[in-house]
Amino acid sequence: MSERFFISETDLRGLTADLLDGGTEVIAPVATDICQSPSAVAATACTLDGSKVEIDYRQLTSADDLDLSRGLPQLSLKEFFLPEHEALCHWRQKGTTVQVFEVPTEFAPRVVLAAKPCDAAALAVVDKVMNWDYEDELWNGRRAATTVINLACQVIDDSCFCTAVGAAPDDVKGADGLLTPVEGGYVYEPATDKGRALVEDFAARFSADVPADTIGGQADDERAAARARVADNLEIDADSVRDWIEANFEDPLLTHLAMRCNGCGACTGVCPTCHCFDIVDEQEGVGHGTRRRLWDTCQAPTFTLHASGHNPRDTQHVRYRQRINHKFSIYPLRFGEVLCTGCGRCTRVCHAGQDLVEILEAIDIAARRPRDAEPAEAAS
Amino acid sequence: MNIYHPLLTTVTEMVDETPDTRTLRLEFQDDAVREGFDFKAGQFGEYSVFGAGESTFCIASSPTREGYIECSFKAIGKVTTALREVNLGDTVGFRGPYGNWFPVDEWKGKDVVFIAGGIGLAPVRCVIWNVLDRRDEFGDVTIVYGARSVEDLVYKRELEEWASRSDVKTVTTVDPGGETKDWSGEIGYVTPVVEKTAPKADNAVAVLCGPPVVVKLTLPVLEELGFADDAIYTTLENRMKCGLGKCGRCNIGPVYVCKDGPVFTAAQMKKLPPEF
Amino acid sequence: MTGPAIAPAYAGVDELRRVARELLESGEVRVIIGWEDARRGARPVFITDPAEADKLIFDTRCVHNLVTYLDPRRDHVSELGRIGLVVKGCDAKAVAGLLRESQLSRDHVVLIGMRCGGVLEEGELPEPLALTPENVAPRCYGCDNREPTLTDHLLGEPQPEPPRPVMTIDERVAALDDLPLEERWAFWTEQFSKCVRCYACRQVCPLCICERCIVEKTQPLWIESAAHPRGNFSWNLTRAIHLAGRCVDCGECERFCPVGIPLSLLNRKLQQIVHERYGYTASDDPENAAPIGDYRLDDQQEFIK
Repeated sequence: MSERFFISETDLRGLTADLLDGGTEVIAPVATDICQSPSAVAATACTLDGSKVEIDYRQLTSADDLDLSRGLPQLSLKEFFLPEHEALCHWRQKGTTVQVFEVPTEFAPRVVLAAKPCDAAALAVVDKVMNWDYEDELWNGRRAATTVINLACQVIDDSCFCTAVGAAPDDVKGADGLLTPVEGGYVYEPATDKGRALVEDFAARFSADVPADTIGGQADDERAAARARVADNLEIDADSVRDWIEANFEDPLLTHLAMRCNGCGACTGVCPTCHCFDIVDEQEGVGHGTRRRLWDTCQAPTFTLHASGHNPRDTQHVRYRQRINHKFSIYPLRFGEVLCTGCGRCTRVCHAGQDLVEILEAIDIAARRPRDAEPAEAAS
Repeated sequence: MNIYHPLLTTVTEMVDETPDTRTLRLEFQDDAVREGFDFKAGQFGEYSVFGAGESTFCIASSPTREGYIECSFKAIGKVTTALREVNLGDTVGFRGPYGNWFPVDEWKGKDVVFIAGGIGLAPVRCVIWNVLDRRDEFGDVTIVYGARSVEDLVYKRELEEWASRSDVKTVTTVDPGGETKDWSGEIGYVTPVVEKTAPKADNAVAVLCGPPVVVKLTLPVLEELGFADDAIYTTLENRMKCGLGKCGRCNIGPVYVCKDGPVFTAAQMKKLPPEF
Repeated sequence: MTGPAIAPAYAGVDELRRVARELLESGEVRVIIGWEDARRGARPVFITDPAEADKLIFDTRCVHNLVTYLDPRRDHVSELGRIGLVVKGCDAKAVAGLLRESQLSRDHVVLIGMRCGGVLEEGELPEPLALTPENVAPRCYGCDNREPTLTDHLLGEPQPEPPRPVMTIDERVAALDDLPLEERWAFWTEQFSKCVRCYACRQVCPLCICERCIVEKTQPLWIESAAHPRGNFSWNLTRAIHLAGRCVDCGECERFCPVGIPLSLLNRKLQQIVHERYGYTASDDPENAAPIGDYRLDDQQEFIK
């Protein structure tokens, strides 16, 4: 049995304050009622019952901002490990002489509190490509500096499917510890040395006296219920899906799925495992500038455009196929992990109605069909 | 230094191969880098003009020639246009070497046939020199190279040098209509010239590189001549950014051109999904 | 708390399905693009089999502007052949925009107009809700195309006017205009800092059809690609200006934006200026030339100094 500690609601807030007072950055879900902002009069959607709450992972300025009662933050934790744009180096040029300046690859320790398990699992999945022969010091530096503490999920909807892709609402993959809500507070289970260090450094906040019902009791029941709720949304044989996609690259199922896709790339932006990036030089003044990497999307028409004008993926449905292929076939083949943790954001954010649960179900059905049967019917 | 941090080189030579293709010779500015830098024929790098960005080219010089690297390019996009404006003594950034390479050591004792079209000679040139610098390790060496016109032939000096060697069979051709009055080489597209040259396939390997149409039409000719799929090598291009497998852009199905390539055998190419 | 009532589908759905089926059976069109009901609510559907025409719906959830699928760059749609497109009055204005700019030939599309009483701000709901001031799409109020003329079929029955939203778009624009300049600047700085440069706004806009968007040009680089404030201001304002006099106010850009930037306010402001200066608002009459493609001798010119 893993170690368990109890931390009260008050103490968790106190722990947050301790961290902040000690100068440690804390990132956690924060709820903002955008209708309360001074410019609310002009903001979108305040017409809906007078309040619109957005949940985001933010750097806390005060322990009071912490809000653990809500569902999934809009964007994943990705931006804290692979920023939307980040400097790779700076240069200064005078005449023919160029000096190139390094950027830091070590970062101040920080803590992510109440991460969603799907977001933390994504970090472990992306670790693989970030260390494929070449070690990406910027990614690894941020990973090493961060202690990620998950909060077991209680808010689950119809688009969650983490259990279908090797994650779970109470998992610690990619994280250093797990908080499970119980009466009056949380049970804390460290999963790594970093997770244990939190207990050691802030011992006064934790108690070894864990309420009886959490052991094999109600808290565990709730976690099991959460898992079952997600499994209800989708179950697939990920290995069959992987193999079917590889063997059926030109099947119309994979391209007809994308008729309504606009190629907007919102799905890749909100996705915790999408990591494709671009590298550009930005001249910032006479003789100096910065080379940056920035988020890019395989859904953009120019993603694979050659300078000659040739584009191997020149229509939206083959670009959409690439997304499915990369996540559910290529990455598993190369790294043994599905490049998806089932957070469901892509489905929720797609206003053209692309639904990954529906798509995976269709592919899973095709994959399980006997080999000599009819080819899969195109989903419209 | 992170893996994206570029090395600095100085432009020490510039040759205009054709009106639109230029070769740059680059020497590393840092002594330790210059002395220690090593690569294998077929590998590529990310060459940059600071302020314009990075561009991907194979290293066009041979690893047997130490102290410098070379690249050849056409000015088509933003970075290549900026590279075209670079002068002797200017600084060019470099990251690499990346990718796999021609398994030259496996070709010892075999005949080697090089076939290239247009600027496709650039990635092949590095391995031609690699083989010629170790000439007695290999059997017969044949080079078949063609371009649209005499003006479009790249590495003209070297073509002459190869043609003048008695231990290399060099066949140069231009497309019909591309010859000049004093052209003494072949006239015809690369594919029929390869057919005519009819290199022996027995105990031989072929290296083929050029515009897609040249590769597509010449592969069956090589197969007719008896070359097995895993004895034919080519090098593929795809849009790249990081060059080291992370930015998710250059893959053809599960194959990453920057990691599993850019050198592929015809056997490997045939297994690629139709996405390049 | 009881929410709004469920609203029945708008009249004309049976007719819509019949017309769609006939168009496909006769071969007059190869594909019908309309709306269907799916696991998460209403969404666009592409029907090539007449037997599937019954998937078509039309209710308050049908907010999507399907004209975006007529973009000439969408090869995978245009290669299917002639399209039968279901349009609301607002959508028909976007078709007129494409015709006006010669981006579409009239005989490539059969337009099936539906008489509409307004739509919800968001269509991803399991049931169509009745429209209230809180949930109606703000652009529906004051709709000027309730009887669209740019159609080949016009189905359904005239509907009551959509409710007035809690705040109309014009009221929101006016509220912004009333802010002192520094506050207005602060507002847009905060909004654009959220932009992740996904280009959803551009991809879904039926009139963002440039073969090569300005943001894709690198020689020279007009707009930086990184999602920092400089690049984001540049991108969002440039797109708004490129739509001035062309935007039909469908609101899709704002609905699609994954980070909730109120883009319709920018477009509406420019629309107001175009109307004020040139007496023009985009309509569904393709013959009515837009200021960007036309000049009049009595055009106001005091801003050219």
